Amino acid sequence: MEGARVTFRSDTVDAPAPNILTWLFRRVGSLNELLKISPRLGVLVKGAAGVAGAILIWELIRALRIVDPRDLPAFLAIFRTALQGLWGGELAVAIVATIGSWAPGLFIAAVLGVAAGIALALMPRLEVATRPLLEFLRPIPSVALIPVALLVLGIGLQMQLFMIAFASIWPVLFSTKAGVESVDPRFLETGRVLGLGKAARMARIVLPSTLPFVATGLRTASAIALVLAITVEMLTGRPGIGFYIENVRLNGLITEMWAAILVTGVLGYLVNALFMALERIALPWSPENRER
Amino acid sequence: MNANRRHIASLAWQAGTIVLLLTVWQWAALTYPAPYLPALENIATGFLRLWHGDLLFSAIVPSMTRLAIGFVIAVVVGSVAGLTLGYLRNLDPWVRPVFEYLRFIPAVAILPAALLLFGPTDTMRIFVIAFGSVFPVLLAATDGARRVEPLLLEVARVERLSIPERLFRVILPASLPSIFAGVRIALSIALVMMVISELIAADNGLGFYILRNQRLFQTANVYAGVLAIGTIGLALTLALLAVEKRVLAWHRGWRGLPGADG
Amino acid sequence: MGAAMSEPILVMNKVGKAYSAAVPILRDVSFSQAPGEFVAVVGPSGCGKTTMLRCIAALMQPDQGEVLHLGQQFGDPPPWLSIVFQDYNRSLFPWLSVRQNVGFGLRKIDRRERDERVEQALSAVNLTHAADLYPWQLSGGMQQRCALARSIVVRPQLLLLDEPFASVDAQTRIDLQDMVMDICKKMSLSTLLVTHDIDEAVFMADKVVVLSTRPAQVVEQIEIDLPHPRDQLTTKESPEFLRLRHRVYTLVRHQAQKSAAAHTEREDQ
Repeated sequence: MEGARVTFRSDTVDAPAPNILTWLFRRVGSLNELLKISPRLGVLVKGAAGVAGAILIWELIRALRIVDPRDLPAFLAIFRTALQGLWGGELAVAIVATIGSWAPGLFIAAVLGVAAGIALALMPRLEVATRPLLEFLRPIPSVALIPVALLVLGIGLQMQLFMIAFASIWPVLFSTKAGVESVDPRFLETGRVLGLGKAARMARIVLPSTLPFVATGLRTASAIALVLAITVEMLTGRPGIGFYIENVRLNGLITEMWAAILVTGVLGYLVNALFMALERIALPWSPENRER
Repeated sequence: MNANRRHIASLAWQAGTIVLLLTVWQWAALTYPAPYLPALENIATGFLRLWHGDLLFSAIVPSMTRLAIGFVIAVVVGSVAGLTLGYLRNLDPWVRPVFEYLRFIPAVAILPAALLLFGPTDTMRIFVIAFGSVFPVLLAATDGARRVEPLLLEVARVERLSIPERLFRVILPASLPSIFAGVRIALSIALVMMVISELIAADNGLGFYILRNQRLFQTANVYAGVLAIGTIGLALTLALLAVEKRVLAWHRGWRGLPGADG
Repeated sequence: MGAAMSEPILVMNKVGKAYSAAVPILRDVSFSQAPGEFVAVVGPSGCGKTTMLRCIAALMQPDQGEVLHLGQQFGDPPPWLSIVFQDYNRSLFPWLSVRQNVGFGLRKIDRRERDERVEQALSAVNLTHAADLYPWQLSGGMQQRCALARSIVVRPQLLLLDEPFASVDAQTRIDLQDMVMDICKKMSLSTLLVTHDIDEAVFMADKVVVLSTRPAQVVEQIEIDLPHPRDQLTTKESPEFLRLRHRVYTLVRHQAQKSAAAHTEREDQ
């Protein structure tokens, strides 16, 4: 800052007065930008250091033989195996298969959940009548229903889709319902004052103000759907990452197993990031995005 | 008077739905006998049998024990780590990427690794339950600690509280509403992880009971087991809400939420 | 008051503070406060009064100059000082009852003595009947009285008041002013009041320190030799009060105009 002040003084010699200010503003502006970039760089460096630290701890656990090093391969080996598996290997096939059941299952849950959520919010009678059923079904951990689904539907895509949809419908349904119920009555009054009919109020006020809730519900649902897809694969041997992990473990391919878990974590992260990005792009005005 | 009548009406509607559903089920079970449609009385018998004698100790007790230990570990570790992280903001950028990665690993995927490291033991199941449910608590505690009213922290400084005192007397109570929200999510995840760990590798517990009866085509018992898990989930959730209502009475009143006792 | 010319309870010696080189807040702020003296600091809004208070409380370290207590420097918030903040609804702990809030700072003392002191403080601010309520169940004035009780229960030598009456209605403000003056006299507390209300400053203080627009400097220190006890009606109607009020008002308005002029100038270019 001292340096800047000195330059400032020498500049005054030949520059006319108003320009000094503009120059100063620009100078301060560029400094601000620098300060804005450098903390970000700092965060990046610290984050990378944290990741390096975590890897180091992993290697330390190996080196100190806290667990059998044969069960805990070197991180680099896992990383290399993961890349190989992804580059046209079995791992890539497994991930595609998991996504292939995750996406349609989630889609079914989204459609049914939004429809049911709106219906329940708009029809109080229906809500009252179905409340015991919903309150009864909701606390049952959906994975406990896998054996039931096996009984009724047998092993297959149908059963997997049912389980994914059943498990992930709840967050969509309840947040949609909450969204419709929390529409600010002042918005609806404004709509009526402006002469909007019931259908128009629905489409132009209720729906848009519910969307952020739907989006949040969908993001939660996407993670649940992934857990269910993987669990069903593990339990019933449906092709996918869950079956792959369990299969390589049973065959003693330890590095492959860790690589698959590493990649599954990345998949979970990407799924969440995808829905966050969709929210931000589609609903830039949503309260959650404004806060950031 | 009017509100009372409406309340009775809604209760009648709800009772009606339940009776209707049960009737349809029973009618279907008797008219179209199928392995997946056992009669209600068989399910009820199976359900009641779970709560005493051998089955209580081979199914419910082991499940509840693992759930309790794993869940408590998750709540304690998550709260302590989260509050520390939230209070010591400088620490956050160092560990955030690692946590952000770990929290999005679908917790089931960890199960084979836990099985490899710990074998098919209770340690493994408790580890999986705790791993799955620790992150919601941790994130909620971090968030809560970060949002503590700065003026309250200044009051604590003026009153010369030490850092542990600040953590326990200011940051912890101020973060409790947020922590409880995380704990509620953690409970449902812990329940899911308990069931999964027992479905995949166990020789007792409710998950194992359900899976074995499914293989034996004892369908009524399968439904009874699912019902039992649902009952436990509901009971624990209600218990948690009751604790929360007591502990956070000040919060409900402060924020003007309904149901404040304070 | 202030008859004993002992070491000043507080000395500000050329204190300077800046958030960055471009934004100086305080520049060479100097004044001193005798034990038992009631000092009011006034200045145009946003001039850095609160920053100054935070420097005194050691919640912030000044960049230049020094803050002395009985001739000594100090680092962390010291035990002989306490603060009442403006935002009572943010500075009281919502999970503690009024009684627990008042007792918050009392630690490491006998429980009976602790209870006794809390009761004394509660009765001093007339809150005994509300002791078991939560602060958020009280009106603004009662909440501020709770904050006041929490500050005096630790028996400080110096009480800092950061615009404590700014967020309450007019009648409550008058009652609080009388209560604070009364308590400070009874406990022979040295009190430093930061305010933008000129009437309040002249009415309550033994000395008014007028600050300039940002960066804040001491423009003038005015001794207020109005007799005690002061009364909301008779004191405020006395010619001496009106004269002092006029003087402080002129000084502050001059500062405000200067700051407005500076703004216009900046916008012109």
